[in-house]
Amino acid sequence: MIEQILRSIEQIPAFPTTIFKVSGMLNDEDYSVDALTEVIKFDQAIAANVIKMSNSAYLSPSRSIGTIREAVLYLGQRNLLKCVQTAGVSRFFQTTGQRQMATAHELWEHSVAVALMSQILARKILKREDERLYLAALLHDVGKIVMGEYIYESFEMIMDLVTRRGYSFLEAEEEIIGINHAELGGMIAAHWHYPQEMEMALTYHHRPDLAGDDTTTVWLIHLADQICLLAGITGGMDGLAHRGVDEVMKKFSFYEKDLEVGMLELVEHLQRARDLVGIVAG
Amino acid sequence: MSEMVVGIADLKVSNKPDDILTTYALGSCIAVAVYDPMVNVGGLLHYMLPDSLLDIGKARANPGMFADTGIQLLFKSCYSLGAEKRRIIVKVAGGASILDNTNYFRIGEKNIMALRKIFWRNKVFIDGEDTGKNCNRTVRLHILDGKVTVKCSDGMTKEL
Repeated sequence: MIEQILRSIEQIPAFPTTIFKVSGMLNDEDYSVDALTEVIKFDQAIAANVIKMSNSAYLSPSRSIGTIREAVLYLGQRNLLKCVQTAGVSRFFQTTGQRQMATAHELWEHSVAVALMSQILARKILKREDERLYLAALLHDVGKIVMGEYIYESFEMIMDLVTRRGYSFLEAEEEIIGINHAELGGMIAAHWHYPQEMEMALTYHHRPDLAGDDTTTVWLIHLADQICLLAGITGGMDGLAHRGVDEVMKKFSFYEKDLEVGMLELVEHLQRARDLVGIVAG
Repeated sequence: MSEMVVGIADLKVSNKPDDILTTYALGSCIAVAVYDPMVNVGGLLHYMLPDSLLDIGKARANPGMFADTGIQLLFKSCYSLGAEKRRIIVKVAGGASILDNTNYFRIGEKNIMALRKIFWRNKVFIDGEDTGKNCNRTVRLHILDGKVTVKCSDGMTKEL
């Protein structure tokens, strides 16, 4: 089955280059509004979602945005990039097969929640937002999309290990399928020729302790993921059957109370971010 | 049948026999379903955290966030529809945990403890319960007869 799964990585559509182009242009303080507008317009799927999202209460509560040019002008660099990233990544969550452990929509909701939570944590811990972290968080479970196509037949066996024998979902995936969704996500990142940091973040998001040095992104995604699981936004039938790595709390001098405050903030953010979740139909 | 969805940190009450109060995606959060069979009044709360002392301002704006403020409002709201404490049946579900090997991430357990303390102090018995474990739950309360069902993310459904 592994060979089949690995082969299917080749079938995954290319990663939208628009995201990298926009990100590169926004890094230049003197970016041209016209050039940026052209790049975004060129990718019609992204453009349509950018308009939809830029009118969400989460991004621009004060004015109505009708064109890409207005979005570029009024959203601000940070929110514009988030918008393009979210719109671009959402296409990978549009597969709606029955043969999946979670509906793509549930998985998308979880992915957006982890991305929002990653920024709440980044503001607290790094004292700034982090666009690369946001993108990695959006994609952290992308391996489940591919896995979902194959897991159906093995699903009962996996759930049996989880419910009866105390396995984590990840351990059960490894035992039954031979690979877990996080490793698979890392391979997809490699297939997209993603930066190493991103590949590591996807591969080790359940085991940040194995990721080596200088891996703040991995640890933050791990913590954001745990908080979303606790809040019930789990994205699939694996529910809360994942292990938390407690070093994450010490690493960031985080206490139980901080987790609770984080959960409160997450729920408030999600209420305003309904449109971000809603951009994927089906 | 009409479904009324109770969001996270939210509560709803009803006395319409057609209504089914539903709450989705309980992780470490807890659903408290209360029902007075004499007047067919029921309510469902989905609280997130054990203690409103964490943020009194938020608790005031949104009492359903916390066990203490949420349970109090749930009972009061049912009383206002004619329910009486001595007849109320209480069922609870949720409070799941992740599989951690540590003492962190114990919000689910703390949520269950908070609930027990509040009911103990107020001499209220819990008539049905499905708490703990590692699954995500969906809870439904049927106003017609007070039936409470719990559906787990692993696919099992049971009646409390």
